[in-house]
Amino acid sequence: MSYGILTDLTRCIGCKACVMACKEINGLPKTEVLKLDGNNWTAVEQVNGVNIRRQCMHCDDPTCVSVCPVAALQKTEAGPVIYLEERCMGCRYCVMACPFEIPKYQWNETLPRVQKCIMCYDNLVSKGEQPACTSVCPTGATIFGDREELMDVARERFKNNPGLYVDHIYGEHEAGGTSVIYLSDVPFEQLGFKVMKSDAAYPKLTWDVLSQIPNIVSVGGVTMFGIWWIINRRVKLEKVRNGEMTEEEAFGIAKDE
Amino acid sequence: MKIKLTFWKIVAAIIFVLGLYATVIRFAVGLGAATSLTDTFPWGIWIGFDVLVGVGLAAGGFVIAATVHIFNLEKYKPIARPAILTAFLGYLLVVIAILFDLGLPFRIWHPLIMWNPHSVMFEVGWCVTLYTIVLALEFSPMVFERFNMKVPLKLIRTIYLPIVIVGVLLSTLHQSSLGTLYVIVPDKLYGLWYSPFLPVFFFIMAIAAGLAMTIIESFLSYRAFGKRLEKDLLEGLGRVIVVVLAIYLVFKIQDLNSRGNLELVFRFSRESVLFWGEIGLGVILPMVLLFVERIRVKETWLFFSALMVVIGFVVGRLNVSITGMLHSETYFPKWTELIITVALIALGFVIFSLAVKHLNVFPKEENESAGSEVVPHAQKPVFTGNLVMVIWTFLLIGMIAFGLTKQYSHAEAGTEMSGGVTRLADPSDAEVTLPDDIEYTGDSDPDDWPGDVIFSHESHVYAQDSVSCANCHLEDFKIIREKIDREIMLMDAMYEGKSCGSCHDGEKAFSSEECEMCHIPAP
Repeated sequence: MSYGILTDLTRCIGCKACVMACKEINGLPKTEVLKLDGNNWTAVEQVNGVNIRRQCMHCDDPTCVSVCPVAALQKTEAGPVIYLEERCMGCRYCVMACPFEIPKYQWNETLPRVQKCIMCYDNLVSKGEQPACTSVCPTGATIFGDREELMDVARERFKNNPGLYVDHIYGEHEAGGTSVIYLSDVPFEQLGFKVMKSDAAYPKLTWDVLSQIPNIVSVGGVTMFGIWWIINRRVKLEKVRNGEMTEEEAFGIAKDE
Repeated sequence: MKIKLTFWKIVAAIIFVLGLYATVIRFAVGLGAATSLTDTFPWGIWIGFDVLVGVGLAAGGFVIAATVHIFNLEKYKPIARPAILTAFLGYLLVVIAILFDLGLPFRIWHPLIMWNPHSVMFEVGWCVTLYTIVLALEFSPMVFERFNMKVPLKLIRTIYLPIVIVGVLLSTLHQSSLGTLYVIVPDKLYGLWYSPFLPVFFFIMAIAAGLAMTIIESFLSYRAFGKRLEKDLLEGLGRVIVVVLAIYLVFKIQDLNSRGNLELVFRFSRESVLFWGEIGLGVILPMVLLFVERIRVKETWLFFSALMVVIGFVVGRLNVSITGMLHSETYFPKWTELIITVALIALGFVIFSLAVKHLNVFPKEENESAGSEVVPHAQKPVFTGNLVMVIWTFLLIGMIAFGLTKQYSHAEAGTEMSGGVTRLADPSDAEVTLPDDIEYTGDSDPDDWPGDVIFSHESHVYAQDSVSCANCHLEDFKIIREKIDREIMLMDAMYEGKSCGSCHDGEKAFSSEECEMCHIPAP
């Protein structure tokens, strides 16, 4: 069982209740919210007149979790990708690598942290409650539930409202699938949603390289030692032949014959 | 000579003072004040130049160490020590640069105990740590000799071969892994540079740049310290560079072709111009120059070709880390970023010259290796105004300047959309479920109580043009907590423009002094 969030852009009225609830539960400063940044884990952006609630996609196989050198970002069984700030050393590889450009950094702090939605894992979801954002949505544009059930809800809406939605559940396959999924009546690429070259999850790209390391180390080590041994022996033989060294000096033992 | 020395000392002093000032800004105020980095472009020149270029240029250390100790090419021994010293200093400076770049630098040791083997940076962190230790060991004989410590010297000589082999393995791993860092961003790195083979490209170019750096460093030491120029050795390195560059070039073209990106090379853009700066002026031209023996044996040309390789390498690494990355048009380094980079380079020069002065870095003049041509110190190579060099320099400067204009960028321009979109749904039709009405009853003396208040979400929401929860829930009113904080519901607060008074001020909405508008008097 893995949780997710379904956001239906056809129902979002842009009231920003989700944004304010997020700020309250996570103790973020209540500033004017225009886009995701170090103070906003979710934001309602207006693109071409469409209200789009942005937040972490909570990928099934998250890029940020893969790149973090100290495992400060982790994917929980329940679905949320959480951030263990006491591990983070501030390399910002997650900010650089995230295909959805979600994690943000506290650039103006002397002791900065990474900022992103954790699906209220600590406060609510791990206690069996729903996240603050979905709990306050007045139109049901953003709802919380089991990810598979949400997929069924999405397909149901396709069936019940023929012609209304674009035939694409954003997040079903993107980056290998995400816990947060979107429905829209406008093609996603016109709304600034990332279009990926491939639907495969990203971590495999680097793991294919990293998993070669044991081979490189063992084969490389043996090869280099072998090369040294052969060349060194030849040099010594050469010296013995030229009378610069005795066999005993060169090889440690006196040969027979 | 004395005046020149003083001049450089003044320059260094100015750089260090400015660098110190920038350091204070960086650590007292934060990354935002010291860099141009933003959430859209989180890695700047401290990663792109200081780390990626710094590590690459220090590759001479492992290549020469392998040449001398594993391949037993003893004639290269005279340049082994300076190469190892450069590498050791290079890695120390890279570590310092990382301390500047990390948001929480005092946690730099975290990857050593908090593991994530799936992370490329975890692997790089481990390799760089271990390799810096290896370099310290490879460098240690110079210190032991200086203080005449025979026992540790003997010990280190016994284990020198395994140390060198471990060093080569570690270098192979992390030189390539710096490229692997970018393998996970296929959608963010421009087609001219993205490739799953980035680790291979980074490794090959590190060898070329490391060797070129060894040539340059020998020339500089020769000029600055009057050390002997091992000309035939450097020429040999030049020949190796030709082979390495040729392998790189063929592989690079083949890779671009197989990915269908070869046409990007011939499309006029900021990216393609800087690509030509990297490949044309930094790979093809020096390859041709070094290939011709008549040119290669001339020390001016050898030096110049090596310089081309190094500068081409720098442009190449910056292309991957900056030019080619998505949103690079939003980034240009701040002066603080630049001065810290320059100060680190200056620090490297200072420590190198101190080491040369006090340690046995360069071989003594008497153990002359056979065949090496000794250029007398008086005959310094003079750079005559060669047309190719002048053209090359101007072309390179022009290309970089063009790259900085950022007008012809082919990178995707973010989320800006042209024209409107056709909406099929009308969200204002959506059924809005508002919270229940809230009733405020007086708990004080009933004689003073002007009457209960019933707050209706509905009347408030529909009094506005559009439903906006954030208007009220931004400041005073909590959205999640069910019980209203009685403190903020005091009339005094409202008269001061807080609570209900933030709208009910007589302008935006009726004044909060009009009691009967809200309070219903008890019958």
